[in-house]
Amino acid sequence: MADPKRSLLRAVLALCWLGLWAVPSSAAAFDRAAFAQDLCGDGAAQVRGAEDLVKAGGVLPADDLAYAGRLLGALAERRLTCPADGALLLDRPGAPEGHDALTSAVRPVADARAPVLGLRQRAAVETARGVVALLTGPDPATRGAGLSVVERRVATVPAAVLDRARDAETDAGLKATIAGLAQAAALSSPDPARRRAAIAAVAASPSGAAEARLTALKSDPAYTADPAFRAALDAGLSRVTRAVTIGDGLAVLYNGLSFASILFMAAAGLAIIFGLMGVINLAQGEFIMLGAYATYGVQEAFRRLAPGLLDLYLVAAIPVAFLAVALVGIVVEALILRHLYRRPLMSLLATWAVSLFLVNLVRVTVGTQNLQFIMPAYVSGGVPLYADFVVTWNRLFAIGFAAATVVLTLLILRRTPLGLDIRAVTQNRDMAACLGLPTRRVDRLAFGLGSGLAGLAGVALCPIYSVNPGMGSGFIVDSFMVVVLGGVGSLLGTLVAALGIGGANVLIEPISGAVAAKVIVLVGIILFLQRRPEGLFAVRRRR
Amino acid sequence: MTHLTRRSFVGTAALLAAPALIRPSFAADTVKLGCLFSSSGTMANLEGRLNHVVRMAADELNGRGGVNGRQIEVVTSDPASDWPLYAQVGRQMLQQDKVAALFGCWTSVSRKSVLPVVEQNDGLLFYPLHFEGDENSKNVVYMNSPPASSVLPAVDYLMGQDGVGAKRFFMIGSDYVWPRTINKQLKGYWKSKGIPESAWREEYVPFGFSNFQTLVNQVRSFASQPGGQAIVVLTVVGSSIPDFLREFANQGISATDVPILGLDMVEADLEGLDTGKLVGHLNCWAYLQAAKGERNQKFLADWAAYVKAKNVPFSADTVIDPMVSAYDSVHLWALAAAKAGSFAVPEVRKAFAGLSFDDPSGYTLTMTGENNYVSRGVFIGSVNEKRGFDVLWQSPNAPKPVPFSPYG
Repeated sequence: MADPKRSLLRAVLALCWLGLWAVPSSAAAFDRAAFAQDLCGDGAAQVRGAEDLVKAGGVLPADDLAYAGRLLGALAERRLTCPADGALLLDRPGAPEGHDALTSAVRPVADARAPVLGLRQRAAVETARGVVALLTGPDPATRGAGLSVVERRVATVPAAVLDRARDAETDAGLKATIAGLAQAAALSSPDPARRRAAIAAVAASPSGAAEARLTALKSDPAYTADPAFRAALDAGLSRVTRAVTIGDGLAVLYNGLSFASILFMAAAGLAIIFGLMGVINLAQGEFIMLGAYATYGVQEAFRRLAPGLLDLYLVAAIPVAFLAVALVGIVVEALILRHLYRRPLMSLLATWAVSLFLVNLVRVTVGTQNLQFIMPAYVSGGVPLYADFVVTWNRLFAIGFAAATVVLTLLILRRTPLGLDIRAVTQNRDMAACLGLPTRRVDRLAFGLGSGLAGLAGVALCPIYSVNPGMGSGFIVDSFMVVVLGGVGSLLGTLVAALGIGGANVLIEPISGAVAAKVIVLVGIILFLQRRPEGLFAVRRRR
Repeated sequence: MTHLTRRSFVGTAALLAAPALIRPSFAADTVKLGCLFSSSGTMANLEGRLNHVVRMAADELNGRGGVNGRQIEVVTSDPASDWPLYAQVGRQMLQQDKVAALFGCWTSVSRKSVLPVVEQNDGLLFYPLHFEGDENSKNVVYMNSPPASSVLPAVDYLMGQDGVGAKRFFMIGSDYVWPRTINKQLKGYWKSKGIPESAWREEYVPFGFSNFQTLVNQVRSFASQPGGQAIVVLTVVGSSIPDFLREFANQGISATDVPILGLDMVEADLEGLDTGKLVGHLNCWAYLQAAKGERNQKFLADWAAYVKAKNVPFSADTVIDPMVSAYDSVHLWALAAAKAGSFAVPEVRKAFAGLSFDDPSGYTLTMTGENNYVSRGVFIGSVNEKRGFDVLWQSPNAPKPVPFSPYG
């Protein structure tokens, strides 16, 4: 249905817009003091102030917009205080003095109220800030950030704002995006041609929300009355639905891969330790925890010594965590485990004791709180890739890390003399000893390698999990599950088992819930091991 | 270096492994209070703080000459986040150490496991967490609010015009009694408001679960369906909370798109997170660190001084509701014991009627004698950039607690 009020408003706005070109000074109807008062008022007034600004955004002069943007930014960051007369902008929250919003004069803050935004107010303020950034941002990046906010709440933004932004935009890519958005905003336009164009524009950037918007149009009277509209909607809808399905499929794949990479990282070290020496190392989870703490140490060192390179600490932590934890592993092996090789039950108890010791050592020396990590841009946030499929950087980091670990570990095992020794000892310890291999030294190095891999897992997990002394205990059961399923002593088996368990979990979870998924996977593993106790890939060996 | 024989090593290892369950100390003319808070396992980071705050409150009382002329001695333990162990340690404390009262438990499942023990031994357990209600034992003092005076006001706020006018609800919880009961009551509440069953979804995860990608994907697609604004009611506990928040922020969903009401979310859960992208998510408690007033300032300063003086391994500038509730518990117990002039549980219990205590939240805690519930204020907090909560709304007074929910 046509909306005469809306078109009238559009016409008035268009006239104002023309008027702005003709006599710029006549458009200065924006009341700065009233705006400041609105933002300092109660929740309803704040929403009104922000929404009025958005409505008038198509015609307001740039300096008024910039003024409003400063106030809105200060309000969102709690730098706006509200004394009885006007509003003060602070440089930081809680500063002793601030600039008067209207006159910019510096005034002391005297017991002024700093409003806290509720959710409704926050949404309105966010949209208004997005509009201001889109219209007045000095560079394409700022305007693009504003646009992405406006895009999420396009229903509340008048067409005049988008038109103005499109006309003023100099960056070709942004201009096209804004044009597409403006086109999509015309879904309820009275003009059938514009409406069909809007459907196509909505379908061009598919997502679950776009699907919902288009599905809602099916109950529109035009759907039965106008065959062209019907065809356009059906085509658009099938396109969006297909894209959303593909996006969801990609998400499942990505989630499975990411879970598998975590499982693999946690289990890789164990595959070597358990596989080579048959040592049931219950301290493996704590080795992961130590790797994470080593990463924290590297971060703190960077903060003190090279604050400029702080973003690179995760990369620098890779060798440090590997070597530090490998050293701990070698010490544990030399002090404890080498005395217990002939008594596997004792080594199980001893490594459990080591794990308790390490947890409490860290708790006493560092504390039990979650550690505060700085997350560089390459491991925080994500990017929407296709439809609703978002690639999160921290998970991608873990996947890449796990892939690199697989390759490097396989290279070490297959292509180096140490790897040859390790394989020889794994396959037949006595024969290897007879042929003159120093099996004790090989054991120690292998244990160091396995512990070092756990340290690497600690680095990879920092951006994903909370780091505290107890974090390791969560990994130990899963990693034994992966190693046993994969076949003791086979790194490739561990990889395949991790992929299988990760994938199965992610596939079952949406159907039956996370609790049942865990149970089903566990039952599946038990049944599999009943039939094939040696696991997926068994290494042939003589005892 | 001395040579380490195999035998001596195994001995040492065994010593290290043996968990020191209870660390008692002996002195005459003291009265003992027992703590049931874990310092290991998944709850350690949260519960561990409460041991120290009970000690701090006891030190305060001892500084004023103790209670009924006796000094207070605090006995701590480590039930290791292992629910049946809470009952075992609780029994040991009541029967062997003869503690006058127990202060403990975080999760409802641990409280439920201690419940028969305190009832059989006629002990007294002060429970400092807000919880699902639907329980009324004469042996448990419920220091924090049942849902009617914590969860429902917060959900009402989100459904109202001040909030976001929420119409649809995605409930995610850890799989145990507290989340399931809370969600059952919420569903009953929504039904009573005429909200159809299709407007909510319910998902549970195991304890310590951390792989929230699939669930966050589901939240996103739930929120994009028509039918009105969606919110997440989060009842996961322990380390699952920061892991969920991190995934939520990384996938680019902000509080203005889909707000999270984190019912067990406290300041300590935000440690280690970049809260810039989490600003605006909500929680509800009977105390927030940002509460105004001199009593709160004094408590914060006292805690910071205590952490420094005793070298406590927790943050000096993070204070959470259960800490304040545990602190209040000790003071309420002391008031009741002083009023009764005795430490015997039946006498102390009789003295609860009409007690009041001005606690750091700024409200006055009161007990009626009708039941062992305590009237507390209600705060709704909003996550800020500085890993804390701003007070978004607070109740004008402390509402009378309703133990049994009419909705579930």
